[in-house]
Amino acid sequence: MVKKVQALVIGAGPAGLCGSIAMAESGVEVLVVDEGIKPGGQLPKQTHKFFGHEGFFASIRGFEIGDKLYKRAIDLKVKFKMKTTVSGIYEDGIVLYDRDKEEAYDIKADFILIATGASERFISFKKNYLPGVYGAGAVQTLMNQYRVLPGKDFLIVGAGNIGLIVAYQLLQAGANVKAIVEASDKVGGYLVHANKVKKMGVPILLRHTIVEAIGEDKVRGAVISEVDEKFRPIKGTEKELVVDNICLAVGLQPSVELAAQARAKIEYIPELGGYVPYRDENMKTSVDNVYIAGDIASIEEASTAMIEGYIAGYNIAQKVTGKDLSEKIEKMKIELEEFRRGPFSLKVRRGLKKFGINYPEGGYRTEQQKDDGPAGKLRVKIECPQNIPCNPCETSCPTGAISVGGNINGIPHVNYDKCIGCGVCVMKCPGLAIFLIQEQEKHSIVGIPYEFELPEAQERVLLLNKNGEIVGEGEVEKVVKNNKGKTHIVFLKIPKGLENEVRHFSKIKLEDDEIVCRCEEITKSQIEEAINEGFTDFEELRRYLRISMGPCGGRVCRLQTLSIISMKTGIPISELESGRFRPPSIPISFKAIIRGDEKDEI
Amino acid sequence: MPRRVAKHPILGDLEETNEIEFEFEGQKLKAFKGDTIASALIDNGLDIFGFTDSGKPRGFFCAIGKCSSCLVIVNGVPNIRACITLVEDGMKVERQKGKGNPVW
Amino acid sequence: MKYKVCIIGGGIIGTAIAYFLGKMGETSVAVFEKRYLSSGATGRCGGGIRQQWSTEANVRLAMRSVQFFERFKEEVGMDIEYRQGGYLLLSYSEEEAQQFEKNVKMQREQGLEVEILSPKMVKEKYPYINTEGVVLATFCPTDGHANPHKATFGYAKAAEKMGIEIYTHTEVNEIDVENGKVKGIQTSKGYFECDVLVNAAGAWSREVGKMAGVELPTESYRHQIFVTEPLKYFFPFMAISFSKNFYIRQALHGQFIMGQGDKDEKPGINENVTFKFEKEMAKKMTKIFPFLENVRILRHWSGEYNMSPDAQPILGKSNEVENFYYAVGFSGHGFMLAPAVGEAIAEMILLGKPVHSDISYLDKDRFKKGIVQEKNVV
Ligand SMILES: Cc1cc2nc3c(=O)[nH]c(=O)nc-3n(C[C@H](O)[C@H](O)[C@H](O)COP(=O)(O)OP(=O)(O)OC[C@H]3O[C@@H](n4cnc5c(N)ncnc54)[C@H](O)[C@@H]3O)c2cc1C
Ligand code: SF4
Ligand code: SF4
Ligand code: FES
Repeated sequence: MVKKVQALVIGAGPAGLCGSIAMAESGVEVLVVDEGIKPGGQLPKQTHKFFGHEGFFASIRGFEIGDKLYKRAIDLKVKFKMKTTVSGIYEDGIVLYDRDKEEAYDIKADFILIATGASERFISFKKNYLPGVYGAGAVQTLMNQYRVLPGKDFLIVGAGNIGLIVAYQLLQAGANVKAIVEASDKVGGYLVHANKVKKMGVPILLRHTIVEAIGEDKVRGAVISEVDEKFRPIKGTEKELVVDNICLAVGLQPSVELAAQARAKIEYIPELGGYVPYRDENMKTSVDNVYIAGDIASIEEASTAMIEGYIAGYNIAQKVTGKDLSEKIEKMKIELEEFRRGPFSLKVRRGLKKFGINYPEGGYRTEQQKDDGPAGKLRVKIECPQNIPCNPCETSCPTGAISVGGNINGIPHVNYDKCIGCGVCVMKCPGLAIFLIQEQEKHSIVGIPYEFELPEAQERVLLLNKNGEIVGEGEVEKVVKNNKGKTHIVFLKIPKGLENEVRHFSKIKLEDDEIVCRCEEITKSQIEEAINEGFTDFEELRRYLRISMGPCGGRVCRLQTLSIISMKTGIPISELESGRFRPPSIPISFKAIIRGDEKDEI
Repeated sequence: MPRRVAKHPILGDLEETNEIEFEFEGQKLKAFKGDTIASALIDNGLDIFGFTDSGKPRGFFCAIGKCSSCLVIVNGVPNIRACITLVEDGMKVERQKGKGNPVW
Repeated sequence: MKYKVCIIGGGIIGTAIAYFLGKMGETSVAVFEKRYLSSGATGRCGGGIRQQWSTEANVRLAMRSVQFFERFKEEVGMDIEYRQGGYLLLSYSEEEAQQFEKNVKMQREQGLEVEILSPKMVKEKYPYINTEGVVLATFCPTDGHANPHKATFGYAKAAEKMGIEIYTHTEVNEIDVENGKVKGIQTSKGYFECDVLVNAAGAWSREVGKMAGVELPTESYRHQIFVTEPLKYFFPFMAISFSKNFYIRQALHGQFIMGQGDKDEKPGINENVTFKFEKEMAKKMTKIFPFLENVRILRHWSGEYNMSPDAQPILGKSNEVENFYYAVGFSGHGFMLAPAVGEAIAEMILLGKPVHSDISYLDKDRFKKGIVQEKNVV
């Protein structure tokens, strides 16, 4: 007997969880399926505080957000099936593969919300197959969920938010980060994130890339080099680093296989992350009962994923129950509009425009605050120079001293008449971008947000500036602990004149083979050769070389292959055929199918 | 346990969990309950999970069951993804070399 | 633009015809493929090459093809992973067994070497097969399998080297017929004149026939098929049963490829797949091949069988439109017949009639005389 649910949510990340909450609130019977061991998607791996506003859990750490959403969903009687992969959306049903019980069975659903998120991209460099070359998400999973560090000395490739966050998390877990290399000429992630690692002495090498992993059996080092304006390594600029781990944080691509199998129209919109399903402003795809939300729709971040989840959820609930939920939907749409006004949403705005969805931009403050406030008073100094969608500084201040200037993307300014130096905002700011300063008679005081093992009062320390360079010596005055939020404040006595310098401290003791397809071991040069022979379609290459025919189903290599085709033929990826997304999306055993067929409940 | 993150400024100290014992390539190793095969191997300092057909060493890559880089042989059955399979007491894990052998 | 011969369809049949035309010296030839090479049934098929058929004609045509497959690498210049590991046909009832024995007698008369095996002998040879219920089996050691993509690419690349043009992503939308003769074709990349037009459009053969005003009695039915994760290569032959309705083989890369037919399919082009298929296959196949239990299904897809009323191909030249040829209706076994068919059609076009194979009995007008069904099909 085939089971039926009113709504099936695929993916228990922020988007899927919020979608399920929206539906369950309105009385819809929801089943959430996720292949992970813990609900929350990316959230349980994240130990840093999230940006956004407090209505959507800003200033709370990722793993705690996951727990909160999950609890809310459970209270609303949402049903969960974890460790279960939706292995395919077939003409005659949706197949769930329960890995734990080794069972696969089909169900039906009136509505499907696909919130499968994204998977990591891979890049080519020599010997990139060696153990020790790992995806950033994999390192996070191991380090923060299983609490093991897969190495001691890390090189991080990519200075987007993920690369920066992983670097910071690695430092927190006790590893060394030797460098972050970034091919473009600027840091792609938020500056406040970059500053967190820079001040701890991690160099961010712009216009640099990795060219080779060193080692025979596993990674023993890495060769990096400078790149020219076309991102080609410049000969003679190579440097060797001794690392035992190369962590790739080169971007994400939406996981669209299931949406494609559900016959949703897939388009190539690079601004949204590559292949994405078409959707309207209600998150409905080209198929009437199939909705999407979160990273599968556009690579963004948790707050927008949550809001999209609500929008999709309320829309489905409206159709299932016949209730008018337009007020709630409108409210969420306005939230989304406010989030997406800033410069970091430019790509998403451009991408969505291609779907005929327009978002306004601007309407927030862009100028920096000029004055530092009255010398001698204990007061804050905010170093948050970019228009990012974040405002806990404003909402947490008990005296209302901070404002971000209209929209959430504005740059925070302090009203020094109101600031009493209480430090609440310092502990709340997810960017660790707020410091306390005070000039005293013989020395000055600076209060630093701190998330590492705490020093003792009176301890002598080396003072570091925002690039991690030593600027002097000082002494710990006192430590204000924050047991709940875990962002503590360390007050340092420092030489006068360094109030705007000291941002961190340390204790005084102080081509061979570029694999593209991992499963079938196919190299970049093999692909290029085949293209020269005239195989210029992804499907032709796949059939000829067996690229992306291995157990990973093409997740790792599809886009990379398409990029190689595009580079060699000059045809933009958007005009190439993406190839098929064949089910199952995870290999399922014969045993599982047989066992699943014998059971009669979900 | 060499690579365990026992103390963490945000996540706190590692909770006490039961230790279990499993075998890797005939060698007895310890793991925590709740470990995947991958996390247990990494903790024991073992990065090489197997070899490809052409003899290249292979470890994990995605850690979430998507890339099939981490295939090992568990109790004789090949093609098991080490990163999403929990270790069990007495489990016998071996490095997979290329494709697995059929079992009948 | 003008070509002597235009061929519609970039599958194994279309490219084989192009190759043989070129080999016989005619290089003013163009192949038109609406998607990419092998995007139709060819790229979706099981790749089996079998000579054990129930009608003499099919046996002969298949034997001729095998001669070409054996020399493919030297002659055409591509390694198509061809292996002659044999085909094991399993019968599960007395009646089926008797039919098998009759077939073997006929096949031997045609010069084919075929063994008859008792269940015990099967078990001894292949201990990993559960022979429960098997009445007898037949085995032809020169049957085998190959990689259908590579075979298509092989023919196409060799043809191109001889100067033949292959137009991919080019759809033929209209056929220009005047006074009972094809003058040219209208495609998505413009108009092409031709002296001869060949319909090798696989699942779309009937539609293409209609464009020329020629009624071809073919109908397309979906066939599903899947492939598993690879295991070490140990299963060199193709196993097949008509009554249990399955076929299975292991590719050189190690994956198992298998499928079955479905009597409930409705005609029409359908590229979706069903979970029902996986359930039925899982149950059936793990019984007969217990080693599959812990093996995982990796990719599942479907393609079309272009069926004719008697499950045999329709080959020849139309008498309504004088320069219109067709090689269609392969009913699930066009891959293995492609070399012989390619040769025969090329000979028909250039020499007026086929020289090496008699295909006159496969003309489309044969159905007027009644139907002799090919029984050995899944
Ligand atoms: C699941 C399955 C398993 C099979 N197993 C076997 C097996 O083991 N052994 C065996 O021998 N056979 C097998 N077959 C059958 C075999 O695949 C086919 O008989 C054979 O591939 C037919 O080749 P073709 O070139 O006629 O058709 P196709 O490969 O379908 O080629 C026809 C081409 O014509 C193109 N086309 C159509 N209309 C137009 C137009 N208007 N303009 C331009 N291009 C057009 C199509 O895009 C297509 O690429 C199987 C088939 C299936 C579906
Ligand atoms: S230190 Fe206290 S008073 Fe001053 S801005 Fe921060 S929260 Fe407001
Ligand atoms: S200063 Fe305000 S806007 Fe900037 S990161 Fe901190 S909380 Fe967010
Ligand atoms: S590491 Fe990718 S599947 Fe296990």
